[in-house]
Amino acid sequence: MSEASPHFPLDTADDRTLVGRAADGDVRAFEVLVRRYGPLMRVYASRVLGSNDETDDVVQDAFITAWQQLPELGDASVVKSWLMRIVSRKSIDRVRARRPHVDVDDVDLAGPESATPSEVTEARSRTQALSIALTHLPEIQARCWALRELAEYSYDEIAAELDLPATTVRGILARARKALIREMEEWR
Amino acid sequence: MTVPELPPRSSDDGNSHEPAEDALGGHTVEELSDYLDRGCTPPDPSIDDSPECQIVLESLQRLRAVSLNLFEEDVKVESERGFSWVGSILDNIAVDARAGRDIPVHHPSPSAHLVMSEGAVRGLIRAAGDSVGGVLIGSCKLEGDVTVPRASVVVTVEASVLWGERIADAADRIRGAIYSELMKHTELQVEAIHVEIHDVLIARTRPTTELETP
Repeated sequence: MSEASPHFPLDTADDRTLVGRAADGDVRAFEVLVRRYGPLMRVYASRVLGSNDETDDVVQDAFITAWQQLPELGDASVVKSWLMRIVSRKSIDRVRARRPHVDVDDVDLAGPESATPSEVTEARSRTQALSIALTHLPEIQARCWALRELAEYSYDEIAAELDLPATTVRGILARARKALIREMEEWR
Repeated sequence: MTVPELPPRSSDDGNSHEPAEDALGGHTVEELSDYLDRGCTPPDPSIDDSPECQIVLESLQRLRAVSLNLFEEDVKVESERGFSWVGSILDNIAVDARAGRDIPVHHPSPSAHLVMSEGAVRGLIRAAGDSVGGVLIGSCKLEGDVTVPRASVVVTVEASVLWGERIADAADRIRGAIYSELMKHTELQVEAIHVEIHDVLIARTRPTTELETP
């Protein structure tokens, strides 16, 4: 795509170069970052949101914020995790706006429809089995799982983002993992 | 293929899949999760030497590995789906937010007040640096009070060079290209141009024969 320099296309540039240029106002460099990390952010946002409906909006919001704040990003080597933080924040804001007063315990403990192991059993691959198993998790468990496993948040960070005590987060994650391991056991 | 296994059950009621804490040497699945999250450090012999704990740890590890695989597959599928969503992002960012300071440009008419934005000058510098070939300019800084006519400035650019370029030569060519571009389009008094080469990259598509070009 972008041919900035003879023999040195912009889309082969490292993050530091792209961040430096984008912070200086180079929209093409920013576009390379959007294409490089956008798919990751979209997949992640869909997991946190629990659907694809709002992914476009949330990821767009995240990149608009990123563009505004890029000049303040001190260390360009962390741009990927920095973008993941922004899209996490935007996704969680969106979830909050949807239902301002979620009772976490209800959502977590009531659980979804009882799992249908046959779906998991019939999955073509281990990853597909996990994908199905994830849809059986209560929302809050799936969200904590995404924050922990995909965005690599610490328990304390998840707790801060979701306004929950860290001990609650720990319990939610343990339940999520147990449920996933149990469901994955069905897949052979 | 191995399948994630559950730890030994506490009872044979066929209902509970929860491992007994007794069976885990007093550890809970939460604790084992934490232990894994900490990278299994510092080593805890009561976990490391317990076969039951090891089975749970393996299940948790396998789950983590599958999770990462799933994420990677999803990202691949997402990338293959196309990038139709990029356009509206680029349409919605505020490009003028990067204009920076106004740099005066002399005009024969005393009533005319011409300025170039700092952002535009940085764009000139980038383009000049990129044009030398085999290098890519990164960030660009203009130091000095550029809002004053004929201000003295120090330019600092970061650059990456392709592997095979002589770094000192590349830096000289970048300096020369930027200097002549600034002389041509601005009235800035260029005191110095610092080129910081921060990376040497292997070209992905460039034919190897061209790597020898100085």
